[in-house]
Amino acid sequence: MLHIGNQYLPLCSGGTRRSFLQVGAAAMAGLSLPNWLTLQAAGAIDEKKAKIRNCITLFLVGSPGHLDTWDMKPDAPEDIRGKFKPISTSVPGVQICEHFPRMARVMDKVALIRSLHYSTGASHENGQRWMMTGHDFNAANKQPHMGSVISRLYGSKGDLPASILLPTAIGNTGTTTPHGQESAYLGSAHQPFILGSDPALANFKVADLEAPGGQSELRVEARRKLLQEIDDVQRQVETSSTLERDTAYARAFNLLTSPQTKKAFDLNEESPKLRDRYGRNTFGQSCLMARRLIERGTRFVTVNQFDTVFGISCWDMHADGGSLNNTYADYEHVLCPQFDLAFTALLEDLQQRGMLEETVIAVISEFGRTPKINAKGGRDHYPSAWTNFLAGGPIGGGRVIGSTDKIGAAPHDRPVEPPQVVASIYQAMGIDLETTMLPGPGNRPIRLIDAEPIRELFS
Amino acid sequence: MDQKLEGTPKATLRLAERAVTRSEVSNDWGTRLQWSISRDGKQIAIVGAGLDLTFEHPDTTPGKYEIVLQQFHYVNYKKDKEGQFAESKYINVSEPVAYTI
Repeated sequence: MLHIGNQYLPLCSGGTRRSFLQVGAAAMAGLSLPNWLTLQAAGAIDEKKAKIRNCITLFLVGSPGHLDTWDMKPDAPEDIRGKFKPISTSVPGVQICEHFPRMARVMDKVALIRSLHYSTGASHENGQRWMMTGHDFNAANKQPHMGSVISRLYGSKGDLPASILLPTAIGNTGTTTPHGQESAYLGSAHQPFILGSDPALANFKVADLEAPGGQSELRVEARRKLLQEIDDVQRQVETSSTLERDTAYARAFNLLTSPQTKKAFDLNEESPKLRDRYGRNTFGQSCLMARRLIERGTRFVTVNQFDTVFGISCWDMHADGGSLNNTYADYEHVLCPQFDLAFTALLEDLQQRGMLEETVIAVISEFGRTPKINAKGGRDHYPSAWTNFLAGGPIGGGRVIGSTDKIGAAPHDRPVEPPQVVASIYQAMGIDLETTMLPGPGNRPIRLIDAEPIRELFS
Repeated sequence: MDQKLEGTPKATLRLAERAVTRSEVSNDWGTRLQWSISRDGKQIAIVGAGLDLTFEHPDTTPGKYEIVLQQFHYVNYKKDKEGQFAESKYINVSEPVAYTI
């Protein structure tokens, strides 16, 4: 074996890690590392044979308060413990909010991480970036979404895109900085496909999968052939942007013309009873669609529960009396019941179809919410402590990693940072973080994430 | 994009003495379900409809009781001064059943 050498790579926390890059000398004889990586980046790996698990990420935009959901403190003072009561679950000693009765029955399948925290800005976008890229914000070096990383490394298994966002991208959540759901330096070919419409509505259709107005599928095919002829002429001077555009066009035409890919998005193929079980709402039907897409070859589906925090019922419980006027009423009557129904439906559905062992489910959000209830009866942004959770694949259920102090203000033990959650998701998908490198900016090979997975999830 | 709840949720109720058993809800919006209990035409209790499909109200005060299943119909996030929903409300999703004590 040829050791390329030791590389000392700084971690976000300031520590260092030694990593070895080993290349089989017999296979790589005569090739320099850059050429080998170029081959890898250009798809020398047989992507269709790459065997990794799939992932469905449920992003709870707006962010539920941990004290009102999955890290309750019933013995804390009234202005901290909040309105809701905890209930016992299928895991002895573990309690969650009374408004998740279905989830309480399946906690043996879920691993709670109660000691999440970070110390940079408490904006929604910062939390979104942390949890979906594993990195802090750097305007000069934007980081790709996990789904884009998967798309870049492993490609598509079929005609469906490797990474899909449902039902739509995150829009206005307060600032104009990125939300961590883009492909960044990996290029436009690895941008997630965005559904762009509400699958719960009776008139739902995927706008990007409809032939442009007035055009039959025959005309679309004719245009594709013409475009290909033009490209063949230009192909004499191939550049990375040409190749990238080719991939994007090929993907777009496949989506537009393939009956199989269109069917993947057709929820009318599901029984009404199953659609009811997920809940006839945007989030529930998006979770159902996520299952269908994974079943049909997509590797990574992200469900954004909301696309904004302004003027809608969502988890961002500021109770400000204005456009952020979410209160306990939203949690009690709408949000908790809808989440409880959809999340447990997804777990059960995946299990019944024999898919749960091959699908990692990650329920993540931007931050927790202030332990002390504010003057208007709400809670505000709080990245110093919160709870997210994982299930499926090799994730060990029925466990709690970490804890917070008596009022949920800070991690009490086993503090966990967002990059560790991202590392855990990658590991759960079956990716060897020691040996798998990503073509980074300027095609330099880089590690997928500078963090260790949470080992307690896998023991 | 705020969620828009379409269609009409429906459930059927079956009464056995004072015990009410509901069916699963068709076109389930996923929002909170509750039992509304009235006696002699006046609402006396609201109880969250848990996972158990059968519910029995414990009150045995004499009178004519009527029980109906309700689901929260979210239309928008607007709140009143107390932080409660101003325009989104519970609606009946079943026919009522009645018994007399």
